[in-house]
Amino acid sequence: MKKASLPGILAAFVIAALAVALPSFAGAYPLQVARNVILYMALAVSWDMLLRSGQISFGIAGLFGFGAYASVLAVLRGGMDPWLSILFAALLSGILSFAIGLAILRLRLMYFSITTLALAEILRIIIHNLHDFSGGPEGVVLEGSIAGGNASALYLLSLAGLAVAIGTSLYFEKSKLHLALTAIRNNETSARSSGVDIFRYLLIAFVASSAIQGMMGGIYVQSYGFATPESVFDANFTLLPLAMALLGGIHSTIGPMLGAILLGLAAEWLKLQIPYGHLVVYGIIIIIVILFMPKGLYGLARGGRKSS
Amino acid sequence: MASKRIKTMATMAGAAAFVALAIWKPTVLIYGTQQAGLYASIAIPMGLVLGIVHIVNLAHGEFMMVAAYAAYSLSMATGMDPLIALIPTAAATSLFGFLVYRLTIRNALKAPELNQLILTFGLGITLSQITNILFTSQTRKLSLDYVSASVTIGELSFGIWSFVFVAAAIAMTVGLKLFLTRTMMGKAAVAVGQNPRGAAIVGIDVDRTYGFIFALALAMVGAVGALFLTKSSIFPGVGGPFTMKSFCLVAMAGVGNIPGILAASLLLGLSEAFLRVFRELRGWADIVFFVLIIAVILGRSLKERKS
Amino acid sequence: MKRIVALATAVLMAQLVAAQGAPIKIGGIWPLSDITGKQGSAAAQLAVAEINKAGGVLGRQLELIVVDDELKADKAAAAVEKLVTVDKVDVLVGGMASGAELGKIPAFKKYGKVVIATGAAGSGTVEKALGPSPDSDFYFHLHPWDYNQGASYSEGWDAIQAQYPNMKIKKIFLAYEEGAFGKSSWDQTKVLFGGRYTVDGAPFKSAAMGGGDYASMLEAAKDYKPDLFIWAGYDADALPMLEQAKAMKFNPGIYLGAPPGWPIGFGTSRLSANVMLYGMWAPAMNDTNKASKKFYDGFVAKFKEEPATYFAPLSYSAIFILADAIKAAGTVETAALIKALKATKYESPLGEVITFSKSNIIAHQGIKRQKILQWQAGRQEVIWPLEAKTEVPVYPFPQWK
Repeated sequence: MKKASLPGILAAFVIAALAVALPSFAGAYPLQVARNVILYMALAVSWDMLLRSGQISFGIAGLFGFGAYASVLAVLRGGMDPWLSILFAALLSGILSFAIGLAILRLRLMYFSITTLALAEILRIIIHNLHDFSGGPEGVVLEGSIAGGNASALYLLSLAGLAVAIGTSLYFEKSKLHLALTAIRNNETSARSSGVDIFRYLLIAFVASSAIQGMMGGIYVQSYGFATPESVFDANFTLLPLAMALLGGIHSTIGPMLGAILLGLAAEWLKLQIPYGHLVVYGIIIIIVILFMPKGLYGLARGGRKSS
Repeated sequence: MASKRIKTMATMAGAAAFVALAIWKPTVLIYGTQQAGLYASIAIPMGLVLGIVHIVNLAHGEFMMVAAYAAYSLSMATGMDPLIALIPTAAATSLFGFLVYRLTIRNALKAPELNQLILTFGLGITLSQITNILFTSQTRKLSLDYVSASVTIGELSFGIWSFVFVAAAIAMTVGLKLFLTRTMMGKAAVAVGQNPRGAAIVGIDVDRTYGFIFALALAMVGAVGALFLTKSSIFPGVGGPFTMKSFCLVAMAGVGNIPGILAASLLLGLSEAFLRVFRELRGWADIVFFVLIIAVILGRSLKERKS
Repeated sequence: MKRIVALATAVLMAQLVAAQGAPIKIGGIWPLSDITGKQGSAAAQLAVAEINKAGGVLGRQLELIVVDDELKADKAAAAVEKLVTVDKVDVLVGGMASGAELGKIPAFKKYGKVVIATGAAGSGTVEKALGPSPDSDFYFHLHPWDYNQGASYSEGWDAIQAQYPNMKIKKIFLAYEEGAFGKSSWDQTKVLFGGRYTVDGAPFKSAAMGGGDYASMLEAAKDYKPDLFIWAGYDADALPMLEQAKAMKFNPGIYLGAPPGWPIGFGTSRLSANVMLYGMWAPAMNDTNKASKKFYDGFVAKFKEEPATYFAPLSYSAIFILADAIKAAGTVETAALIKALKATKYESPLGEVITFSKSNIIAHQGIKRQKILQWQAGRQEVIWPLEAKTEVPVYPFPQWK
């Protein structure tokens, strides 16, 4: 746990100020791209929070989609206020993940990962099949986007979600949770013999990251004003944040942020340069970065120090 | 003794269910088994790589797709039947896979598992997108008469071509079992899979073993790709869903358990077919798969903790 | 005061004169990685090239700027933002999938620029999101809604049965893929055909989504003994389903497929003989329709490949409709352009004169009619509408040998 340095804090402050002030000097297109990057950044950061315990989740899309539908259906069927529905999505995702976590957090390695994947698929299929309740495969449409679709408002909403994700992740990094999770990740047996209540910490990490993912799902659907099972349970919501976190440098907050900026901006820029076939370059970028920067961008910046 | 009795009872119950199905809805057995064969033949190569090299190849489905396109191109260019093209396709896929392994995956093996996962994810994207550029997203299919070969028993007519996948899966399982237990390379591979460091100390060339296993797995993928081409339409995204299914089946069977993949596939194929019989349950056939996986994984973990 | 007015007028005139030469910018959004979007955008480029060669519109050249929507709502939204705020396009065109369209609608409404939509059949979501006139008046929907398609087919089968009395339909079975496309087809079929026919159906997982096993669905179909068997899925399902139907000896009187496109080389397969299909356009129309032939020849000459789906002639039509309206309005200013578009009467390669009229919710719906075709001798022949027909149907669907 490194002590925060004064230049570091200043830099963070400046960046945060710029981020908040972006709508005043950026046009609608950069704001939209920024929103997309922010979404994946929040998912990547939240995924990393659980990763620090050694557990690899493949269920981001499941929680994201669950939160999305919780928000959308709360508004459509329950008449809830859209802003409140986002908090509702976070809360419900937290509760769901608590219940799921009790059952599956004893699993390890690949078996835990597959189980999260299976659960995500189960959620998707349930939403897909319950036509009357969820609108079925065609999906549901809201009255309109939250805040009337105002570009700045939508951007600041996403930024708020990201701030929650970053804040939680930093708290995890700076508090004793960090020691506990790292201990569990490195050697569970010795952690247990040191008196660390493994299950409790895993549960905390799992619920926190899931609640954030559900909240981002709520923000997503309220911003676009619709939800379909295919669009919110899309596997890319699981795979891309993983790639971003890895490329940026796992087991940190800054790493996933860097990775999201790298891959998110690269995707948009490539698309404009190479209309037909930009995804090939995207795939190659992933391959090259993984091969030549195995600790990610942030890991490289840290001077190849052993990742904590 | 109690567990033995439970096992016997379970086997008898299974046999009874089997007979009941055969009489009441034989199509469940027929089509369920055929689908099981398809799933298993695609999953077994992934299980081999996972069991010995310990990497999850997220580009697994894409390799099969590339093999299918290779067989298609060969077929269209020379008029060769895909079954004959199977051998050159398997060889080419094996070589291609080995090259990819040497150039990329091998360098990531020292890195954490996640790196290999995302590396293969990037590979998968690259492969499917290059195929998209070369062939467009429009579907292609060869029209072969023998694919609609059928047998009529009483009132029931059913296709029998898909049993070729069952045969392929069984051949792979038996072949691998023999390879892994009877040959030098195979036994070395098992040792490497269980304990790479220990195997290296004993003098086994771990790197060469990895390369060989990868090439072997991809040869199988190539063969399955050619077979797949006969029965299914191909398009750049055709491999993706099979990667996930294979990963789930391998997890259900347990790492390193190749015959278990057969059993898991059979369970999956039969339960899907069974659910599809009932009108109201048709949409839920997919969910059964995932519920089963979770049940098996959780059940196994509970058993491990009790012991 | 007078001097200020004179100065202002002079400045305005100077600006107008300068703008005369500047190109009219059209923003196109399609899924470029998919064949529909690839060819749709290509066909639009073809139309732009043809119009520019003939002198452009109002003395100005057309410029088409294409951005990929990647079949994703957030990328589609970003595409609209880029085209409108960065490229400063005058009008927007394109679209294929309903999901991506939903992502664009908030941005469309924000800017209010004219949109000629070439995709999106999902009325339950897209038309609902657009809302009624006048807020959605900027949106000119070329592609038929799902209920337009259903109603059209209902009309079509009536006409076919009247014209060819030996083709009698009492029982219809619809096999529908499990996604949004299949589900809406099933809902429409139940509503529009349920009254006069006996209708049943079964879902299946499309091969395009990782499925490809049709056994249980075909079993249900076979048991039902339908006169008309329809499958609503994707090109990947076409041949495997036929192969399984043959293996199961399933022989409905009419075997009809309704995918948005067909696999390469489908016509060369023996199994394709006399399969009927729902569609909007086929190369066979070149024989009877001049506009179709002009489009087809131009497309093949420029891109060295055949148009594979109807999205190509549809996108081509979108550009011409736009050009005609700009000419008629004398400007690209939105209100005038909307007025001119309302009066559209375009003889399209799709074999009909395109006009815009009210649909369930929006005011400007273009095409409402589909076609019923049949594969004969490796070619898609138009069976209905009878005015556009290129062949007489072969009935019944042959017994498997």
